[in-house]
Amino acid sequence: MTDLKKLHDAILTGNAKAAGELTKEALAEGANPADLVANYMIPAMDEVGSLFEAEEYFVPELLLAGRAMKAALEYLRPLLAASGAKPSGKVVIGTVKGDLHDIGKNLVAAMLEGAGFEVTDLGTDVSPEKFVEAVKEKNANIVCLSALLTVTMPAMKTTLEALNAAGVRDRVKVMIGGAPVTDQYAREIGADSFSENASAAVATARRLVSE
Amino acid sequence: MTTTQAPSKSRQRLLDALNHRQPDRIPVDFGASPVTGIHVSCIAELRDHFGLDKHPVKVTEPFQMLGEVEDDLRDALGSDVKGVPGRKVMFGFENKNWKPWRLNGLEVLVPGDFNVTVADNGDILMHPQGDVTAPPSARMPKGFHFFDAIIRQNHFDPEHLDPADNLEEFGPMSDSAIDDIAADVKAANDGEYALFGNFGGCALGDIALVPAVNLKDPRGIRDVAEWYVSTRSRRDYIHKIYERQVEFALGNLERIHARIGDSIDIIFLCGTDFGTQSSSFCSVATFNELWFPYYKQMCDWIHGHTSWKIFKHTCGSAARFFDSMVDAGIDIVNPVQCSAVGMEPEQLKAKYGDRLTFWGGGVDTQQVLPFGTPEQVREQVLRRCEIFAPGGGFVFNTIHNIQAETPVANILAMVNALRSLE
Repeated sequence: MTDLKKLHDAILTGNAKAAGELTKEALAEGANPADLVANYMIPAMDEVGSLFEAEEYFVPELLLAGRAMKAALEYLRPLLAASGAKPSGKVVIGTVKGDLHDIGKNLVAAMLEGAGFEVTDLGTDVSPEKFVEAVKEKNANIVCLSALLTVTMPAMKTTLEALNAAGVRDRVKVMIGGAPVTDQYAREIGADSFSENASAAVATARRLVSE
Repeated sequence: MTTTQAPSKSRQRLLDALNHRQPDRIPVDFGASPVTGIHVSCIAELRDHFGLDKHPVKVTEPFQMLGEVEDDLRDALGSDVKGVPGRKVMFGFENKNWKPWRLNGLEVLVPGDFNVTVADNGDILMHPQGDVTAPPSARMPKGFHFFDAIIRQNHFDPEHLDPADNLEEFGPMSDSAIDDIAADVKAANDGEYALFGNFGGCALGDIALVPAVNLKDPRGIRDVAEWYVSTRSRRDYIHKIYERQVEFALGNLERIHARIGDSIDIIFLCGTDFGTQSSSFCSVATFNELWFPYYKQMCDWIHGHTSWKIFKHTCGSAARFFDSMVDAGIDIVNPVQCSAVGMEPEQLKAKYGDRLTFWGGGVDTQQVLPFGTPEQVREQVLRRCEIFAPGGGFVFNTIHNIQAETPVANILAMVNALRSLE
């Protein structure tokens, strides 16, 4: 039998190759996909988040853990979908119009995916209309907006206005983040929350979907 | 060749501050480097405000679209430093043969090889070395203000990475490039200002440079995330790159110094960002293993052979690295991002004020300068000067470049606050 603690550790240490192989092996031996995710993979990513908060892990370690999680999910996603397993929430994420920076956004996406959310990543330079379209199409309940630049922060407000105008604002929680973004700015533009980093974003998303 | 004449007021002011002596007033830098500059659109507005000669402003740093601060504007702003950049810009062409170009309706001048195409969605695409037959290496979203790299990551075999692939843009400078630097330093050395040399080649893993927007077909690790991952998982590879880079850098510095002597006062070492808004990109232990030895090698050579002060840029929460930077021989840190965690001005001055010069920290460009009122700008500028200026070790600069769309009234509030301290 596959030692599933090794799957946990492969994600924790960012070993994508091992994470994929161990998942494949475990499934071949009849492991329950939902059990792998809930009891080994999500706890590993939670630990990654804790280590990041404690400044024992940094951006490279987060990226590596995210890749390992993704490698394991490649095998699990079709099985989870077929079994009708419900994600923690449905997230649409992107960097706002005019902004091409994506490291922070990618980290948040990876951590949310690692926490069991279904994540649709719209990429960078995403127009308000694209966010609206994706919310409708994916039936999302969380929208994450990222901006690195002071000159693109206003696009967060424009995106919120577009969600309002399209009549979908009430069915989503909007989280914002990025270097120049603050809690105060989130309040000013009517977003539901600001997150300081990828680990905090997971805690925020969990809180928002439980409200 | 060493400058023997008595230093000007501006230069003396800088030298006093850099040597931790109280200068006659706080020295100021606006525009002497690619991290202490001003967006070309703001420069055009400032020139209008001051009633300076009307002409299109040169974009001297086309990646971030920073404009030239000419002597007349430098004096109007009270700036004491002049930059001497290398002639080649980030896109691999030279700053020469200026031609008109329009940036969101504003007429500016760009280098002759600034050749762009327009994507289907209206974005502006920049091509490396000005060659539009090569795939674009940077993109400026339609209606926005500067470029960002397009990641061009060729397939690589992780088991067979060759450090030479990541070293294509580094190497011994040509004799003509050294001649150009010598000529530019001579031309800039008018006895008025302190001179800030930025000749390239010393940056270790600067994430703005990793994608190599100057190369037509970059090899090795060029994806930003892949590079960060490599600093954790492929350290031997990174070490080999840095080792070779430093060999090149030391050779180039020696040849440059042989020509310009101590005509420059400050040298730009490296722009690698170690801090994020609330944390850092690596631990101090990793810094000490992966960067410190190479910085120390370069700093040791510079301090052993020149009078140049060494300038290190790192955004974000960087104070945790300052002890190591001091030990490596770094003299100046920039931009002193006081809005980041652990970067409170009072603590920085108390802990490092006698060992590091803070070149920056003057006003926040994330909130106060672009979005605050002129009064808020004035208050912050005066408070930061009150904290950082005593005993020297401070060169006033905004925290990183003045961004596009910054209200000119706020820039003037900053300048007037500085004047009120004279």
